[in-house]
Amino acid sequence: MKASSPRLQALRDAVNHVHFNRFRFWFQLAAFVLFVYGGYLAIDLGSRLPFFACGYNQEGRAGVCYLLPLQHQLSLPWARLFSYAGIAVLTGFLIFALWFIFLNKGWCGFICPLGTIQDWLTSLRRRLGIRYSTYSHGQFAQLTKVKYLLLALMILIPLGIGGGLFSHSMSPPFCLICPARMILPMFTGDFSQFTIDFSSSAAMVMTALGISITALFLVGSFVKKRFFCFFCPMSALHYLISKPALLKLKKDGSKCTRCGDCYNVCDMEIKEIADDIKNTNIMTDDCTMCLKCVASCPETGALKATFAGIPIFESTEAGFIKRMGKGVQHGK
Amino acid sequence: MENDAKVIPIQAAPYNLSRQAGEAENMLDHIVDDFPDNPQSMAYFYDLFRRVYCHGDEVKHEGMLVGTTCIQAPEELIYAFGATPMRLCNGSYHYDQKGADFMPAKSCSLVKATLGMLNSETVIPKIGKPDLIVNPTTCDQKKKASVMIEGMGHSVYELEFPNVKESEASRVYWQRSVRQFAARLRELTGKKLTRKNLQAAMAKTSRAQAAFRKLHNFRRKSPSLILGKDAFLVTNAYFFDDIERWTDAVEKLNAELELRDEAGFKAVQSKAPRVLFTGSPPIFPNLKLPLLIEEAGGVVVTDETCSANRMLYDMTAVDEWLVNDMVDSLADKYLKPCTCPIFTRNDDRRRRLLDLVRDFNADGVVYQAFAGCQVYEMEYRSVADEFNKAGIPMLYIETDYSTDDKGQLSTRIEAFLESLKNRKKHRA
Repeated sequence: MKASSPRLQALRDAVNHVHFNRFRFWFQLAAFVLFVYGGYLAIDLGSRLPFFACGYNQEGRAGVCYLLPLQHQLSLPWARLFSYAGIAVLTGFLIFALWFIFLNKGWCGFICPLGTIQDWLTSLRRRLGIRYSTYSHGQFAQLTKVKYLLLALMILIPLGIGGGLFSHSMSPPFCLICPARMILPMFTGDFSQFTIDFSSSAAMVMTALGISITALFLVGSFVKKRFFCFFCPMSALHYLISKPALLKLKKDGSKCTRCGDCYNVCDMEIKEIADDIKNTNIMTDDCTMCLKCVASCPETGALKATFAGIPIFESTEAGFIKRMGKGVQHGK
Repeated sequence: MENDAKVIPIQAAPYNLSRQAGEAENMLDHIVDDFPDNPQSMAYFYDLFRRVYCHGDEVKHEGMLVGTTCIQAPEELIYAFGATPMRLCNGSYHYDQKGADFMPAKSCSLVKATLGMLNSETVIPKIGKPDLIVNPTTCDQKKKASVMIEGMGHSVYELEFPNVKESEASRVYWQRSVRQFAARLRELTGKKLTRKNLQAAMAKTSRAQAAFRKLHNFRRKSPSLILGKDAFLVTNAYFFDDIERWTDAVEKLNAELELRDEAGFKAVQSKAPRVLFTGSPPIFPNLKLPLLIEEAGGVVVTDETCSANRMLYDMTAVDEWLVNDMVDSLADKYLKPCTCPIFTRNDDRRRRLLDLVRDFNADGVVYQAFAGCQVYEMEYRSVADEFNKAGIPMLYIETDYSTDDKGQLSTRIEAFLESLKNRKKHRA
C-alpha cells in the first residue's frame, strides 16, 4: 500500500479489522428499512434504481426498481417506441446506469431488499442448525445461464406486446413472476399481490407462475444461500454494463495461496474467486459483491474492494485472525 | 572348569548411551552451542528435545493416541474426538538404517526411518503404541508403507487423498474421505463429533497457527531476529508436544522477538545471505542442511516444507459454524492450498516459492531432495526453470540422513553462499 499518513493508516486498519458480517447485517437492515418504508417519510429516489425496490410496494417504497418502467417502456406500440419514446428509454437507461456505476453489484450484496430477505432466511436456517445445500459443478455451469435467458425474455416479451404479438395482460412479464412483487408489499401490510388474476388466460398463467415462483423462492432460499440471485435478470444486466463501475473487487493472484477460504464462504459458490490467479478484476456475473470473500481471506492484500481505484476494504492476516476468532482460546 | 565359567548376561545399554541418543545429542549440541545469542525462550525447546530425544523421556498425551504419517491428516478431527495426534515422520539416521529392510535400496530416508521407528521395541520419541495410525495416500512410498506398518502389528487407517487438486471432483472426493475418517475416529473413540468439541479443537489449532504466523512474520525482518535452525526446532516440536504448551512457548518466543526487534538486535551479520529452504522436510535430528547453511554464515529466513511452513501456515475460514460446514472447510484447508509434490501439477508450489522469496527478501534458495524421494527429484527441473526465469539462484542438494556427505556439502554450501554475497555486493 502507498505510504500514507499514520491517521489514514489507522483508519484503514480499523476498517480492515471490522467484524464484517455484523457490519453488513446492520447495513442491510438500514437499507431495507429505507427502501421498504422510506415512502412513508416521502422519500422518493426515482424509478431507475438498480435493485429490487419493488414498485408494487406502493405506500412504503422509497424508489422503484428499474425493471418495472423498462418493461413498460419497451411494451409501447412500436411506432412510438422507435420514434420519440425511444429517447425516454435511452435517458431512463442512462439514469439507471449512473446509479449502477456507483456501487456496481454492491447493490445486490448490500442494498437489495430481496437479497436481504434471502440472507435473513439463511440465518434462520443456520440458527435451526440445518445445513445449506450446494450445486454440483455441472449444475452450476448450466444454471448460471438462466439469468441471461430471463433477461432476454424480459426484453423480448414487452417488445412483442408492443408489436401486438402478445397480450397486454402479460405486462410487465418479469414483474408478474418476480417474488419481490408479492413479498415486499407484504412488509407494509399489503397482501393484495397474492392473487391469481382470472381476467384472461395469459394473466392467469403469469400470476399463477408468480405464486409458484414465490413459493419456490421461500423454500429455495431457505435451503440454498442467495437462491434467487443466481437467476436474477437484473444481475445479468448489471454484469453487462459493469466495466466502468466505480466499486470493484480486485485480486492479486501473486499473493493468493488458493486455500479456498473465499470460495468456502461464497454464497454464490463462485470457484474463480479462489482459483483464478490471472484476472485482477475478479467479479463474475454471479457475484453479489457481498465482500464476504475479502473478509475471509487470510492473505494480506490478496483480495480488496476499491472505489474509483482507492482501496476501501482489504484482506489482512490480522483482520482474518480477529474475525475467525483465531488467536484466542476457546470459550473467551 | 569351563562349565563353571560365569555367563555374564549382555546388558542392554541405557538409552542415553545408545547411538540414537548420541545422534540426537550431537545435533542438539551443535544447534545450541555453535551459536551465540540464542533466544532465551528457546530454552524450552532445547530442553524438550534433550529430554525426549537424548534422555528418552516419555511423551505424555491425553486420550487415545492417533499417529499420523503426513500433515494431510486433519488433526482438528483427532482433537475433537478427545484423542491426541502425533506426527510419526522420523528424522533419525539410526531408524533410517533399521527401516532399510523394508524398502528398496534407493528409497526416501524419511519413510525408511518412520518404518524403522515403528518396527523397533523402544520407540523414540517414546510416545507409546498408537491406537491408530493414519496414513494418507500421498506418495507411492508412503502408500506402500501401509501394509508394512500393519504387518508390524499396528492398526492402520488409509486416508484416501486425491493426487489432483484442481478439479471440483477431487475436492468433493476428499471432503467425503475426510468425513469417512471422522466416522472411523468415532468408531475408535466411541465419542461423537459435535459442534462444540470440533469448535474447541479448531480453536486449539488456530491459536497455534496464529502464534506460528507471528513467528513467521518476525522472520521477514532483515537482518534476522532468529535463526532458521531454531525455527525448525520449534515446528519440529509441534510433531509431538502438547499443543497448548507448544503454543504458550511460541507466544513467549514471539514476545522475546518483539523485544529484540525494538532493541535493534541482529541475530546475524547484516550481509548474511538470506536463504529460502524448500524440498524434503528437515526433521530432528536430521537438521543437517539448515545447520550447515547457518554455520557457514547464511540464514534460513523461511521455508516451503511440510515440517514447518506448510504444516502450520494455512488457516481455515468457516462460514456457518455447524459440524458439516466445519468439516468441509477443514477438508478444503488440507487440500486446496497444499503444495506437496505428489500432485500432478505444481503451479501453486512455484508461485508460493516466488512469493516467499519476494516477501522474505531471500537472496537464494536451497532445495533439499532426499535421495529416493522421487516426487521432489522430479519437480527439481520445473522449479529450477521458474527461479532461473526470475533470476534467483538456487542450490539443489540430493542427500539423505547419513552424515557421510557433510564435508562435501559444506563446501558446496559455502561456495553458494559466497556467490550470493558477491551478487549482493554487485547489486549494491
